[in-house]
Amino acid sequence: MTVAAGIGYALVALGPSLSLFVSVISRKPFLILTVLSSTLLWLVSLIILSGLWRPFLPLKANVWWPYALLVITSVCFQEGLRFLFWKVYKRLEDVLDSFADRISRPRLFLTDKLQIALAGGLGHGVAHAVFFCLSLLTPAFGPATFYVERCSKVPFFLISAIIALAFVTIHTFSMVIAFEGYAKGNKVDQVIVPVIHLAAGMLTLVNFASEGCVIGIPLLYLVASLTLVHCGKMVWQRLLESRNQSSASR
Amino acid sequence: MESSILDSLGVEIIGVMAPVSICMFLVVLLTYSLSVTSDPQIRTAANLIYIENPSDSATVKLEGSLANAIVFVVLVAAVTFILVLLFYYNFTNFLKHYMRFSAFFVSGTMGGAIFLSIIQHFSIPVDSITCFILLFNFTILGTLSVFAGGIPIVLRQCYMVVMGIVVAAWFTKLPEWTTWFVLVALALYDLVAVLAPGGPLKLLVELASSRDEELPAMVYEARPTVSSGNQGRNRGSSLRALVGGGGVSDSGSVELQAVRNHDGNQLGRENTHNLDYNAVAVRDIDNVDGNGNGNRGGVERSPLVGSPGASEHSTRVGTRGNIDDRESAIDEEMSPLVELMGWGDNREEARGLEESDNVVDSSNRGIKLGLGDFIFYSVLVGRAAMYDLMTVYACYLAIISGLGCTLILLSVYNRALPALPISIMLGVVFYFLTRLLMEPFVVGVTTNLMMF
Repeated sequence: MTVAAGIGYALVALGPSLSLFVSVISRKPFLILTVLSSTLLWLVSLIILSGLWRPFLPLKANVWWPYALLVITSVCFQEGLRFLFWKVYKRLEDVLDSFADRISRPRLFLTDKLQIALAGGLGHGVAHAVFFCLSLLTPAFGPATFYVERCSKVPFFLISAIIALAFVTIHTFSMVIAFEGYAKGNKVDQVIVPVIHLAAGMLTLVNFASEGCVIGIPLLYLVASLTLVHCGKMVWQRLLESRNQSSASR
Repeated sequence: MESSILDSLGVEIIGVMAPVSICMFLVVLLTYSLSVTSDPQIRTAANLIYIENPSDSATVKLEGSLANAIVFVVLVAAVTFILVLLFYYNFTNFLKHYMRFSAFFVSGTMGGAIFLSIIQHFSIPVDSITCFILLFNFTILGTLSVFAGGIPIVLRQCYMVVMGIVVAAWFTKLPEWTTWFVLVALALYDLVAVLAPGGPLKLLVELASSRDEELPAMVYEARPTVSSGNQGRNRGSSLRALVGGGGVSDSGSVELQAVRNHDGNQLGRENTHNLDYNAVAVRDIDNVDGNGNGNRGGVERSPLVGSPGASEHSTRVGTRGNIDDRESAIDEEMSPLVELMGWGDNREEARGLEESDNVVDSSNRGIKLGLGDFIFYSVLVGRAAMYDLMTVYACYLAIISGLGCTLILLSVYNRALPALPISIMLGVVFYFLTRLLMEPFVVGVTTNLMMF
């Protein structure tokens, strides 16, 4: 029974990304490689952050501002890393395009670029879910479960899985938004991504209040769905644009 | 609409990474589910000198496991040299039979023991006769698939992964410190043996390519399956062209062209393999005859020089056989395989372009990865699994990215490269970073339901 519960928690956190992986990513080896490298990047960022914060740990459990500081520094660092990731991707795109010219195949399509962005985001999201939720699930397979005091109605594993799902969504699709924003030089999209990330991180601070998760988690899901809607609208627009362009040029 | 280049890029890399991932995943699963029923310490070639005791002090552990690692590497190196010697004097058939024998023994005894513990742990209702028949069939099929022609490549690949899993599962029973030292020592040994002039693996590779001969060894071939067709080939070469950077000259492209054609032939042959078994059987008999003749010649030429190596080997096995029934079986079985890891070969057509070896070779037939790399990657991940899931993920990512780096280097340098060093070093570093730095951080943050 607990094994079923453990698998269930894992699927709550990673189910959507798993289906995304199977249906889109796994078809194209290059995208798998993108997912892996973006996961590695996120892991490295986490290790660096934990190295920075290690001297101050463990934080006191009843003061909230060190946690706020921690979330802010982490988000800033990771957003900086996202920009770096974009730079690397940009160079890669040039290499791929010139390579395509050389073997006289078409250059990257718009959908290809979007898929690479999606794969990069999925890597970040999966890394988040894996390290913040899945790696703590080991006890969930055992004979008992675990509740934290501040959110006493729901098992800890379930809450962390639910939060992780929200973050997977945010990470995955904000990468698409960010890449499009960088590519088109759209300032709004460039700024909105760190804002979303920071807002989501800050919303988890609500959990610090006793029973705060009742409010915090719905708010978090609001942010996640906003990201999703924004990303969907933007991609739809881009696809329409490019279709018009190609039909006009034809 | 023409397909974009994205569809075809990186197929070869994934072709190697996928089986490695499967192998690591299954080993982790095994160590996870069976760790409760931990046996008392086993004695293998990897801890001959020192048996770790949890209560020992750190310095004792350090010295002991260092000694263990050195002895193990020396043993591996010695046996690799013996194999080089045997190969030099044309004992190819002996080597082949030896590989078959060790494949039989590994899947029979070690695999059997693992199956038994699985059956016990999950209380699977199965009677001993059925179990024996199943195990026997499994073992025989594995033995046949190692070198016989006419067996689908998928089956051989599966058995390579299975053997990797079996041996790695045994190695995860080594004590902790010894494991780390052995892994690092092997990575260093691998580096020297493949790259240094006069390294045994380098000798072996050069010998094989200068003789245009195929070399028996346990190597995973990431050959594209028939279904993926000719395209797979193009992909591989395209990867190399891509990594090679801008300056692909005319001659370069001609070479790629040739490779493509050759592979077309190969795949064609592959097809006939699958469709027409009889024809293949005949051809294989021819091959065997050819080999047999060649070898007989070799044996006649140098019977005296050849035999000391062989007898030495048998005495080694013999003395060890005395120790204790079961343990010695393990022991004995382990060392051959471990030695195998040192090996690669180009078993194809004696075309002998660049050589594979412990490792990787992307020349004309897809990438080859030594069985030893499978084993020791999985050992690292399995050892990480005994601490926590977090370290498993970190190590997995580190190893896979190390493998990716090695593959990219391969397409740049275009020669046989050791696959262990980069991956093992990254894996070890990430393990300790995760364990010391990241875990307290992540646990502290998440138990307060703080995420970002």
